[in-house]
This record gives sequence, structure tokens and C-alpha cells, in this order.
Amino acid sequence: MNDELEIVREFLKERLSIDPARIVSEAKLEELDIDSLMLLELFFELEEKLDVNLSQDLPTPKTIGQMIEIVRGLKNAPRAG
Amino acid sequence: MKRRVAITGVGLVSPFGGDREDFFAHMLAGESCVRHYTTDDKPRPLSMPAVRCDRFDADAVLGKALSSTMDRYAQLGFAAAREAWGDAGFNATDRSEKNDCGVSWGTALGGTLAYERGYRDLWQNGRERVSPLSVVLGMNNAASAHMAIQFGLGNSCLSYTVACSSASAAIGEAYRRIAAGDAEMMLTGGSDDPLCYGVARAWEALRVIAPGDADNSVRACRPFSADRAGLVLGEGAAALVLEEWEHAVKRGATILAELAGYGATSDHSHLVKPDVRGQVRAIEMALADASLAPGDIDYVNAHGTATAEGDPAEIAALRHVFGAAAAGLPVSGTKSMHGHMMGATGAVEAVITVMALQQDALPPTAHVETIDPACTGVRHILGGALRGTGARVALSNSFAFGGSNAVLAIRNDRLPA
Repeated sequence: MNDELEIVREFLKERLSIDPARIVSEAKLEELDIDSLMLLELFFELEEKLDVNLSQDLPTPKTIGQMIEIVRGLKNAPRAG
Repeated sequence: MKRRVAITGVGLVSPFGGDREDFFAHMLAGESCVRHYTTDDKPRPLSMPAVRCDRFDADAVLGKALSSTMDRYAQLGFAAAREAWGDAGFNATDRSEKNDCGVSWGTALGGTLAYERGYRDLWQNGRERVSPLSVVLGMNNAASAHMAIQFGLGNSCLSYTVACSSASAAIGEAYRRIAAGDAEMMLTGGSDDPLCYGVARAWEALRVIAPGDADNSVRACRPFSADRAGLVLGEGAAALVLEEWEHAVKRGATILAELAGYGATSDHSHLVKPDVRGQVRAIEMALADASLAPGDIDYVNAHGTATAEGDPAEIAALRHVFGAAAAGLPVSGTKSMHGHMMGATGAVEAVITVMALQQDALPPTAHVETIDPACTGVRHILGGALRGTGARVALSNSFAFGGSNAVLAIRNDRLPA
């Protein structure tokens, strides 16, 4: 999950000044103050950087690891037109 | 019975970069913050006089986490509101529930930059999607929502979009909520950023923007002048804390002034041509609401945009209401110095009016050498501040496109009559 994790670390460092060392697989989104809006932004950032297209009805992850697994599972899916 | 309303805090984001005392000192000195503004936008860069708060660094002032969830108008507004909230003696980090206190905010345009960024992405940059924050950045109630969330204001969260009267309407309606007993306190004011490319071009297309270049933009806005040439767009924000009088006294708040009356009327006649009768009714309504007679008024902060049609109509309205006494009525158009901040401008001018009464110093209309014969009949303050008149009661006028008029009556009885 290195690519995805680095994207998330870089985004959260820039936006929320969160130490990248805290962004690990088991870290809980709630404890990182990542609310539903921030989660949307994170998914958007991952879509942009990885050139993937996530569906509208994504499950709501509770941890960094769950979020990255969702993205990885769709990473090779073709982008919608 | 109507309850009295105190003003217990004020704040603004100064285009000069300093605090509000510094801003007001510039106003008294007749010094303009209008500068020549250029961009590299395609297909034709902007080149016009404008007022910008270019020293306002939202990330530094608000913190990156908060500022990145706000468009420019909300950033400016929140900064002004936080200053006013602190000025009223409250802790801006206290988010505990305050259900007797609400927000009433004015903005003519809302999050213009968020929408424009989206359009550019879609149509200029060939992207398929826009930022997921676009809606919450762009919505017209974003600024008020942020204030309610950050300060725990549970009474009401209202936004008023009434073009150039937005802030004055927001302040007046907030005043009414307190006067009627619906709230004990209201955080109010307005903010706007009309300098995004599309909005600035839209105003330009109306042919009401004053021309100017690097050499003369500073004096581009000349309300009531025979050679006036139009308005100057500006970004800005100002805020006031309104409070039920006894509530303020009981908690030992410093009362800066009384918001004594408010008049709001509709011209119901034309989208852009002002109607003197509608303005007269608004002024008379504010006077009646404050139990004041025309002779009680010591100063008028005019709407004074420096347009061909607007300025004579406003002076005609003042002449009508004040009659023979109009000739001695001190009037100034401070937009000559701070430009037209759209939905923020009524709040900026209300703060100027509060400070003018506090300091017994009335700011001038700057850059005017000869008053237009159609704008005579009042005592235009020209050439410098008018000090030591003992001014106690003032009006702040806002007359908007669409025929929406809002007039605030502000009094400060601590000065000797």
C-alpha cells in the first residue's frame, strides 16, 4: 500500500499538519479528526493521483488501512467516461 | 416593548493590513486603499482599480485546517467575526452551546472563487470532476455556518443576500431578533470577494466600474464629485456583536454604541435605477424605529458608490427627509477610500460609524474637488475629518441593486451633547 499511504500522508500533513508517522494502517480516522468531508477529499485526492474512479456508494472505512484497501481494490478498474 | 440593543464588539479585516484603529485613522486622514489591480487571466487579464486585503494570509490567521474548508469570502468574514467576538469579551475557542446567541451574516456573492475554480477545471482544464468541497465552499451560508460551529451559536444561523445592502440587512435583522426578544446576542456583519475573474468582468459589463491605472487608481472612487466615474470593487469583511442592553450591562461588557433603529424598504421599481421614495421611506423608518427626529442626526455615512444615478438619488432622499436642515447635515462617502465591498460594505461602514461617534471624528469623502450640482444641499465633509462636533447619532445607508434599502441608526450618548 506504499503509493496510497504516501499520498494520504502527504495530504494530511499538508491539510491538517498531521505527523506522517501517525498515518499507519491501524490508525483510526476518527482519532485523526478525519470527518466525512475530509474523507471525501481524501478519496478525491487518491482518485486524482492514482487515476482511478471510485463508485458513488463506497463503504465508510474506520481506519487508514480500510480506506486504502477500498482504493486498492478499485485501482485497476476502468474510469467511467 | 422593544428591547434596546447594544453594540459590544466590532472587528474588520483591513485592506491596509493593520488593525481597525489603523484602518479608521486612514479613513480620518482621507487615505485610500484602492490600488491598480491586474491579473494574468485569459483571455483578457483584469486591469482595474480595486481594493484587496492582500496582506490577509488566511492559513496564517485561521490555521490551514480551518482555512482550507472556506472560500475567500468566508475566510475574511470569519477573521472579522472572531475579532468582534473577542472584542466583546468572548473566547473564540469556546465552542460550548450558546442557544441564546445566533449569527446573521451578509454576503452578496458567497463563495465565488469555489465556483469559478470548478468552471475552470471543467471547461478550461479539461477535467471531468470538481473538488468535493465545492458545495460547502461556495454556499452563501458557509461563513455564518462556520461562525456558528466554531463559537457554539445555537439560536439561529441566517444569511442575507441583498446585493449591496446585504450586511446592513443582516445587521438590521439581527437587531430585530434581539429587540423582539428572540435572541440575547447576535454575531453579525458581512463579507465578500467580488474580485474573481467572472464577477469582476460582470461588473465591468454593467459599465459602472471606475477607470484607473497604476498612477491614478488610488483616487478612482469619487462619490458625489462632478467628475465621478463609477465604483471600485473591493474584497473585505466586518463584524459586530449585538447584545440586549441589560444583558451587556449585567456581564460588564463595554458598550461601544447603541444600534437604535433600522429601516428596510423595497423600491419595487427597477433592477438598477434607485428610487428616491424608497430610500426616503427607509431613512424615515430607521428614524421612527429609533424614536429620533431628523434634527437628532449628526452624521450620515452615505451609500455613495460614485455612480451617475445613485449619488444624486441618495442626496435627494436626504434633502427630502431633512428639509432645510439638510444643508448643515454632515455627510461622507467612505467608499472613496475603501471601495465597494459589496455584501460586506454595510458592515464596514457601520463599524466606521461606530468609531466615528466614539472618537467624535467624522471621516471625509476623499478625492473630491467639486461637488456635482445634482449632489448639493447637504454638508459634504471634504478635505479632512470633521472633529469635535459632539456627534451622538448617525445613520449608515445602504441602497442596493434590486431596490433593496437598509438604513441603520447608531447612537452613542456618552459624548456630551
